[in-house]
Amino acid sequence: MANPIVTPLTQALDEGKLSREELKEFMRRSDGPALRRLVLWVGLLAFTTTLIALAWNSWLIWPAMLLQGTVLVHHFSLQHECVHYTAFRTRWLNDLVGQICGIIIMLPHRFFRYEHCDHHTYTQLHDEDPEMISMPTTIGEYLWYLSAVPYWRSKFTEVFRHATGRLSETEKKFIPSVEHKAVFMDARRMLAIYAAIFLGMALTGWWGLIWYWFIPMFLGEPVMRFVRMTEHVGRPTVPQMSENTRTNLVSAPWRFLCWNMNYHAEHHYVASVPFHALPRLHEKLKDHIHVERDGYLGAHRDILRQLFRREPAAVADRT
Amino acid sequence: MNTAKRAWTDLIAVDALERNWVTRVPLGRRLLAVYDTPTGIFASLAFCNHGGADLCDGYFDGHVIECPLHQGAFDVRDGRPVCAPATSPMKVFETRVENGMVQVRV
Repeated sequence: MANPIVTPLTQALDEGKLSREELKEFMRRSDGPALRRLVLWVGLLAFTTTLIALAWNSWLIWPAMLLQGTVLVHHFSLQHECVHYTAFRTRWLNDLVGQICGIIIMLPHRFFRYEHCDHHTYTQLHDEDPEMISMPTTIGEYLWYLSAVPYWRSKFTEVFRHATGRLSETEKKFIPSVEHKAVFMDARRMLAIYAAIFLGMALTGWWGLIWYWFIPMFLGEPVMRFVRMTEHVGRPTVPQMSENTRTNLVSAPWRFLCWNMNYHAEHHYVASVPFHALPRLHEKLKDHIHVERDGYLGAHRDILRQLFRREPAAVADRT
Repeated sequence: MNTAKRAWTDLIAVDALERNWVTRVPLGRRLLAVYDTPTGIFASLAFCNHGGADLCDGYFDGHVIECPLHQGAFDVRDGRPVCAPATSPMKVFETRVENGMVQVRV
């Protein structure tokens, strides 16, 4: 009899870390948790937007925009949840919300979905994981990545490449040929939306979105780079999910912003589990994964320790 | 495709199916996924035609089975791909229930 491919989930089931009944319970979906969180999310955005308005003629507009940007860039986390169809039980809601998030942060939803599939298949494997953030070799490289300049350069290049009907060799590996045209159209649509927004601002003479959306997003992206580095950077570049991914225990506000994606190893074990069940899955798997108890700062201390000591990624150093 | 000449094959007792879920059932050299849905019982090959993962470990809701690896999804009634990265139909089998036994034509 043919065998299925081995995945982190099949391993967890085979090794008894998780039972089938537990898996079914963890995977259960509903619309309620995400809709409730979205109400709070919109409220938070309204609050940070108000702060910018109140600080309009003061230097305080810069910290206000940083705060707004920190929330804006975390639309990535919501989009990521939608990419997995785990934010909402209603499938079209995941598509709709994911598309909106993609427009906010300039990440076409369909493309992200295909790219992210290979990230889950080849997590932390050099030249195979398309989302891999390489371990920096110098403090300069570390800071350069955190500046988000290379990220934006890559994103702009990517969207313009797709809009002009081209894919990189890596992208051709994970986007099936039947979807090439759709990916190109998505990029063109996204650029058209931005063009329409800028045209609208030019015609009305109201350039507020620059201050409420675009500058905050660029200010906030280093925060997202800081968060994204904690997921895999500095972990061993091996296929074992128990080693190559880091779960970070962070405070409630950060968990809210990242839609519980700090439970990253649990997510990679069972990507079908919705965000609201990840804390419970953590309790089940925490002895089988790498957990950074000091959160994002602890993860960066680990990265910097390896960087300065030029140590290889720690192996099996579970806390 | 001429299915008339193919015999029905006993697969699994209806009572042994996981209610409103997907059940993994070996049949000879094949592994099948049998789905208990609101509109009846359906069956397909168990492995996802995208990445080869076992669909029986995936999330099942109504008529949609989702691959546990990439969340590509199929409609179990006709095998139609519902969302990326699934792009081609999965292989489904005609099913019926006779005397409390799920039967398939394979």
